[in-house]
Amino acid sequence: MTGLGYTVPAVAAVLAVCAWELLFLRTGLFRRPAYWLSMLIVFGFQIPVDGWLTKLSAPVVEYSPAQVTGLRWPWDIPVEDFLFGFALVTAALLLWERQGSGRDSGHGGNGRKGNQGEREIDRAAAGDGVGRVRRGGVRL
Amino acid sequence: MGHFQYLVLMACCLAVTAPLELLGARVYRQPARLARAVLPVAVAFLAWDAIAIAAGVWTYNARYISGLRLPFRIPVEELVFFLVVPVCAILTYGCVQAMLARGRNRRPARRQSR
Repeated sequence: MTGLGYTVPAVAAVLAVCAWELLFLRTGLFRRPAYWLSMLIVFGFQIPVDGWLTKLSAPVVEYSPAQVTGLRWPWDIPVEDFLFGFALVTAALLLWERQGSGRDSGHGGNGRKGNQGEREIDRAAAGDGVGRVRRGGVRL
Repeated sequence: MGHFQYLVLMACCLAVTAPLELLGARVYRQPARLARAVLPVAVAFLAWDAIAIAAGVWTYNARYISGLRLPFRIPVEELVFFLVVPVCAILTYGCVQAMLARGRNRRPARRQSR
């Protein structure tokens, strides 16, 4: 535990992804219950998958002891892997969200332009508590 | 399984999450949107992977990987991982969204209840 060559970039990746959303993308993903529920499910499945890859009895991936905190839980999963997973999955979901839904493409297209309107509606919805109603659909 | 352990594990992830598409996720039906969400992230994480491999932060057990390597000594399994895991996550998110929407539509007085 001297270099923390995994721990430091893992923490930085999480901070970078959060900053990317909060300062630049502003998709509103972090305000959606569906996101947090999905993350809970994803982390639930990360345990068996990542657990298999990192189990010390027959590891597929091995970490330099000098580059990690050495905290491994549950099973033998390095705690850093959960930060890594959060950053990987959240980044992909942000890009998925930024493009809007293809189902709505007939109502003004996808991409940044469509997103601007979505953001405004998100803000309005957050203000009046009516819920995130968007283009006739319910935003979850 | 031996050398294909990692790849088989990734195939299992795709198999387990595949039914989510039919439960309302609508992810594979939007291949261009999926590619634009997954590929840039995969490139960023492959770069991280290459640096970590070069610096000896992590290594791969030769017994459990195919031995096929991409540039910068990245095992091909890592590319598969960076594609499969986000796809599984987006499928999960799409399915959760669809299910919450269905649950919400079933409650008639939903607007007032909030």
